[in-house]
Amino acid sequence: MAAKSVGGQAPAAWLAIAGLLLVVAVPFAAVVMQGIFPELGQGSFANPFSSFVTTLNDGALIGMAGNTILLGCCVVLASAVVAVPLGVFRALYRVPGAALFDVLLLVPFMIPPYIATLGWIMTLQPRGYLQQLLGFNLASFLFSLAGMTMVMAFNTFPVVYFAVSRTVEAVGARYADVGRVFGATPARAFWRITLPLSAPGLAASLMLVFAAAIEEYGTPAALGRRAGFQVLVTGIDLRISDWPIDLPGASIMSLLLVGLSLLTFLGQRWILSRRSYQTVNGKPTAKDKRPLGVMKWPVLAAFIIVSFLATGVPLLSILATAMSRTISGGLALDNMSFDNFLSVFQNSAGALGALANSFSLGIGTALITGLIGVTAAYTVVKTKIRGRLAIDSLTIIPNALPGIVVAVGLILAWNMPWLPATPYNTPFILLLAYCCILLPQTMRYSTAAFQQIGDNLEAAARVFGASGITAFRRILLPLVFPSLASAMLLVFALASRELVASVVIAPVGMQTIATFIWRQFEQGSIGLGMAMAFIAILITTLLPLLLLALLRRSGLVAE
Amino acid sequence: MFKSLKSITLGAVAAVLMAGVAHADITVYTAGPQSLIDKMSEGFTKETGIKVNVFQATTGKVMARIEAEASNPVVDVLISASWDTASDFEKRGWLVKYSSPNAAKVPDFLKSDYAVAQGISALGIAWNTKSGTPKPSDWADLTKPEYKDMVNIPDPAQSGSSFELTAALAGQDDFKLFKDLQANGAIIAGANAEALNPVLQGAKAAVFGAVDYITLAAAKKGESVEVVFPASGTVIAPRPAMILNWSKNQDEAKKFIDYMLSDAGQKMVAAQMLMPARSDVAADRPLISDLKLLKFDNAAVYGKRKETLGEITKIFGGK
Amino acid sequence: MTIDSLKSNVAVSAAGLELHYGATPVLKGIDVALGQGKTLALLGPSGCGKTTLLRLVAGLLAPSKGSVSIAGQVVADAASGTFAPPEKRNLGMVFQDYALWPHMTVGGNVSFPLEMRGISRAEREKRTMHALERVGLSAYASRRPSDLSGGQQQRVAIARAIVAEPQLILFDEPLSNLDRELRENMVGELAELIASLGLTAIYVTHDHSEALTLADQVAVMRGGLIEQLATPDELVAQPSTPEVADFLRLGGIADLERRDACWVFRGGDVALMRADEARADNSRILIPVAAITPGDIQPDRLAATVLRSQFRGDGHLATVSLIGADQVELQVLSRHKLKPGDGVGLSIDFDQIRWFEKPFHSHP
Ligand SMILES: Nc1ncnc2c1ncn2[C@@H]1O[C@H](COP(=O)(O)OP(=O)(O)O)[C@@H](O)[C@H]1O
Ligand SMILES: [Mg+2]
Repeated sequence: MAAKSVGGQAPAAWLAIAGLLLVVAVPFAAVVMQGIFPELGQGSFANPFSSFVTTLNDGALIGMAGNTILLGCCVVLASAVVAVPLGVFRALYRVPGAALFDVLLLVPFMIPPYIATLGWIMTLQPRGYLQQLLGFNLASFLFSLAGMTMVMAFNTFPVVYFAVSRTVEAVGARYADVGRVFGATPARAFWRITLPLSAPGLAASLMLVFAAAIEEYGTPAALGRRAGFQVLVTGIDLRISDWPIDLPGASIMSLLLVGLSLLTFLGQRWILSRRSYQTVNGKPTAKDKRPLGVMKWPVLAAFIIVSFLATGVPLLSILATAMSRTISGGLALDNMSFDNFLSVFQNSAGALGALANSFSLGIGTALITGLIGVTAAYTVVKTKIRGRLAIDSLTIIPNALPGIVVAVGLILAWNMPWLPATPYNTPFILLLAYCCILLPQTMRYSTAAFQQIGDNLEAAARVFGASGITAFRRILLPLVFPSLASAMLLVFALASRELVASVVIAPVGMQTIATFIWRQFEQGSIGLGMAMAFIAILITTLLPLLLLALLRRSGLVAE
Repeated sequence: MFKSLKSITLGAVAAVLMAGVAHADITVYTAGPQSLIDKMSEGFTKETGIKVNVFQATTGKVMARIEAEASNPVVDVLISASWDTASDFEKRGWLVKYSSPNAAKVPDFLKSDYAVAQGISALGIAWNTKSGTPKPSDWADLTKPEYKDMVNIPDPAQSGSSFELTAALAGQDDFKLFKDLQANGAIIAGANAEALNPVLQGAKAAVFGAVDYITLAAAKKGESVEVVFPASGTVIAPRPAMILNWSKNQDEAKKFIDYMLSDAGQKMVAAQMLMPARSDVAADRPLISDLKLLKFDNAAVYGKRKETLGEITKIFGGK
Repeated sequence: MTIDSLKSNVAVSAAGLELHYGATPVLKGIDVALGQGKTLALLGPSGCGKTTLLRLVAGLLAPSKGSVSIAGQVVADAASGTFAPPEKRNLGMVFQDYALWPHMTVGGNVSFPLEMRGISRAEREKRTMHALERVGLSAYASRRPSDLSGGQQQRVAIARAIVAEPQLILFDEPLSNLDRELRENMVGELAELIASLGLTAIYVTHDHSEALTLADQVAVMRGGLIEQLATPDELVAQPSTPEVADFLRLGGIADLERRDACWVFRGGDVALMRADEARADNSRILIPVAAITPGDIQPDRLAATVLRSQFRGDGHLATVSLIGADQVELQVLSRHKLKPGDGVGLSIDFDQIRWFEKPFHSHP
């Protein structure tokens, strides 16, 4: 029993708990129940645990689990190789055009992985854009573990890049200079001081990449199957889409994935809790940074090459495909037109409706996950109430649940006949799905932000007459707002492109950006799908940037 | 408490999401093309005043949804891309017996007491005319050196008709054709669309067993691709439409089947480059009577589904 | 002055106050009362529970046992479950880390307590400026706290604490983050401020000079208990235990044994003085700094070796060990600088020796 500590925690904790129960616990419980009771869908609790034996005895399972881990590790390694040097240079040196590169390296977040993958396929396969332009292709590289690793790493390395550049920047400015004073050369100061101090932040971001990689569906599905490389997520998808449908098996495999991911996140927690130096609030300015000197051109070249590969290639490939009248026409001038873009704006196949749906869902998801995330983070970090560990764990679970499993869990949970009212078959079910999948984002950012706020700031407000709620609103919320706002913008971008859950759970008659694109691909209208994808990427990139600029000008978000 | 929480949350998000769901008169789940079902339900509503709500996905995703919804199903009419679904659902006792008056002109093998085809697709070779390879005329042509590394095969595990083709051909020569294809560098390449895209760009020359209507539609759009129906025969995939026995709107559902088989409905099917189910409706493409069909025992083939797929996986290599 | 004499106008009191973190007791029963307009210092080593006691008074923690009253009102009582949240207690507080809100300007920080009390904007501005003037920072109202130096931030925190003229102000080691010179200046300023505003204050510190300078009453705490509660004068004259004396650095502590009608330093063979019959065989004493006069080594003086020495303003304060009883360390004030290793003779004024009531434990 902890000593009662007094704060404005009750309303926040209740809000967080209610939100988490609704958004995470309900579908997760449904998945667990489905794993245990194979006939749950028919409303029967017969033959409990019978599916465990068959599923876990499947010889392919070990291979899939092994491939999942292998792929995760490869992506982590590749992301580190690309991101760490760039991040360190960005942090310690005056890189020309640094702000521009930051934006360019943010774009990969906004490109849906399945679209990026298709872009790479159209570029690297035989007679792809690369061959049309330069006369050779890299198909054998692309359709292999190496190719998969590259495509996925270019999608996720920005996580590492931004984490490294922030930590090293803070640490470098504060402690490395102290090392210099005590006689270390710049190189020794980097190896002995900056790197060890940045290691926890780096490790945490790498684990985030690992968790994202083992949960990713689009790329392994498109590239891996051809290389005979099955991972857990594609295995789960196969069990769900291959008749007869094996929901219990899929549930059990998902639980396996959840376990794997939980381990990763516990590892991350452990590293961060041992010592995180990210909280150091160094305020480095451009003038603290060293000039690059002779390294200027090589470093600049590295930034340009990476930006081009991560952002330029997928975007250009998407654009080229969107502008082609026919795919077989190739990159010929007379094959280029804006017809596909026109079709989108003429609302062909409900394109505009899909855009509107996705953006309203994105906004709704950002608001709800923002609210739940900030209250849950507050409860976990700033209060001592019992059960906050449970809250913490609940916010981790969705990291590991593949979108399709979330969708099935939501159907199982919300389509029970005795429910008097249900969000199922309304847009709210998509909202629930997105909130579940994306909650960890706002939670993670808000937790980090709360950890940087001294406890006494809230206590002071209470002592000077603010009620718990007022203190939260006037003191804590403004202080975490910058982090929360960026997390919510990220959620907006991710929600408005979510595919895997949307395909299964979309209410009848409702399209989103992702399902629209996917249907166009299924019907062979790749160009129209790509035009839609390009428009969506443009909007999800520019809108947040615009918003951030506005917030910054209004002084709500500090630099 | 839980209920009040739910209503609070729903109330809160209602402000954000304006889209409500109008009450549907009938709900149709379809594995067919979106544009076909869009046009068909529009025409149906115009004629009858009954509104149609649609969920469109691949057969697999449609089935996953029905399975997950099993305790409280909402679908009235299901249009699958595989006749196997109709047989299976009939066995489970999930279907309503209905023979539409408009089904009189549908050949017997395209209807049962419980299901009737909406349209039919056939499998063929989708061949890129600019690929620099000779035009193939039969399946076995694709094992020739000209097509080395240039052939995609849709994954039989992901598509009912691909499976039937695989099983029928494999039954004739005990997988020899597939072993030859593999030796010639052919690969299994995802579902139908995924297999076709590389052929459009020219990365591959041909799809072994492509769904014809998608390829025909692409050709109509100007893609340099052609469908070849092999001389030795192929399989067709009738797309069964069925009424589920839990439907509370069975009369409306029957009207939908009637409309689907009406002149207007069948013309829409033909416009998608599918073969109409009714033999008296014209279409701008080869019809069943123009095709040679492979003979196989449906029950036996599906009885050995797992083994067949396992053999294919073994031949084409999976890790 | 005793607790009873203050009861008439008690500003704040605690009775039987206990706090446990899980099974660990942090406060083990605190009884204290403070009169209107008085300042109480909580003095004790780090970790003894000073902040915890202050947070209990502030309402940032709820007691495990016992009760807290402010201005005659019970604000927290573990037995009845009464609990008034901090915002209902009309307090001001200065935190050890200042706890200035980084996203508000200096003026915004200072006017916050007024805003929470629903005071009009114009009035708020007037009183904010007034409070900032008092701490000499009226020019800084629109700056961010992060742009100020440590001492300036400290003054902002003080301005924020006094601006609403609360009935009680709590200070939690407010000066411990400042350098010495600043600290000494601030002690004076704070004393002046408290006196001129007639504040009732609880002042937590681990620095005895701050406590003795500022407080009307000093509570010396150790291990979750109040060891002695007294005025500064009483405390210096009559520390109740050797630990209190030691903590206040009043002089050297030594254990004596009676041997052949003489008091002899325990563990050695040096005699201090003739034994008088009234006391027990084993005694612990305080030899105040003022009781010792250093000089050359002579037969009637105790011989000692200098261990270390520090300049203190009015002389050099040396720590010496007795020759022949070298575990006994005494404090000596000398006008000349003493170097470590030097020999020195001590003449002791026996009348100033303070004898502690409880004898130390005899040999184990
Ligand atoms: N949240 C907590 N959980 C457990 N023990 C605590 C907690 N806060 C303080 N303590 C313990 O209580 C004791 C008193 O702490 P505190 O009141 O902060 O001491 P100080 O006198 O230095 O202000 C310390 O031993 C500390 O370790
Ligand atoms: Mg303290």
